[in-house]
Amino acid sequence: MKILLMGHPNVGKSVFFNRLTGAKVMESNYPGTTVDFTKGWMRLEGEDVELIDVPGAFSLEPKDRAEEVAVKMLEENRDSVVVCVLDASKVERGLYLALEIIERGYPVVVALNMWDVAEDKNIKIEVEKLERILGVPVVPTTAISGEGFKELVSKIKEAAPVKIEKIIESASGVRVATSAGEGGGGESAAVSG
Amino acid sequence: MEKKLSEMEFDEEGTVKEIKENLRKQVAGMGIREGKEIRMATKQPIKGPVVVEVDKSFTSLGLGVAEKIVVEVG
Repeated sequence: MKILLMGHPNVGKSVFFNRLTGAKVMESNYPGTTVDFTKGWMRLEGEDVELIDVPGAFSLEPKDRAEEVAVKMLEENRDSVVVCVLDASKVERGLYLALEIIERGYPVVVALNMWDVAEDKNIKIEVEKLERILGVPVVPTTAISGEGFKELVSKIKEAAPVKIEKIIESASGVRVATSAGEGGGGESAAVSG
Repeated sequence: MEKKLSEMEFDEEGTVKEIKENLRKQVAGMGIREGKEIRMATKQPIKGPVVVEVDKSFTSLGLGVAEKIVVEVG
């Protein structure tokens, strides 16, 4: 099992990385690009697990080299758990990427990082509700002080793939016909807003 | 009134009305989608980028991108 750290540029992924690995890092150069990613190891329930700091990406539709690397790394590590790091003060934006990753069938843990900044800005996020809608663990964190990391690490093993139709259902209350033809091609819905 | 995002004045607010098809996915990850409220935060001179505020967070866009987004303003 591998753990991929993904998220927008500038949400604190690298601080996350250093905290989780204890900065026992090695640099690695991805062939064919100038974009670097960092690899390291962390202890997870007595096991050493590889952790990869993926370059920041806004979405899984690559528009630049860094995003191309991010998508490629996701595709090449099908067996990994993705820790999706979001900026809690810009949560809506980050959820777009989180949903894209979930849609591709990866087990995801969402970290609402910069929780302190969000609190300063008076942004309140209903973590349990978000968790209920997404069906994946959601943990508030402050990477700089280390807050929430114990909980985050404990949730990594709980992560499991979630069907995107389920999320649309719990977010909108509309039942979604799957591509398999479930429900006889009835109503379908898309995430909006 | 409709205008291009690139034509908005400083501090002007509006609602995103239309995004050119080929651009839609590119800006969606940055939080810019049709129906979103948007405010012009900074305009840089000499065809420089614009900075817009969407959902309390700031995003900079190249002028070429901003020209392909139509905004309904007050």
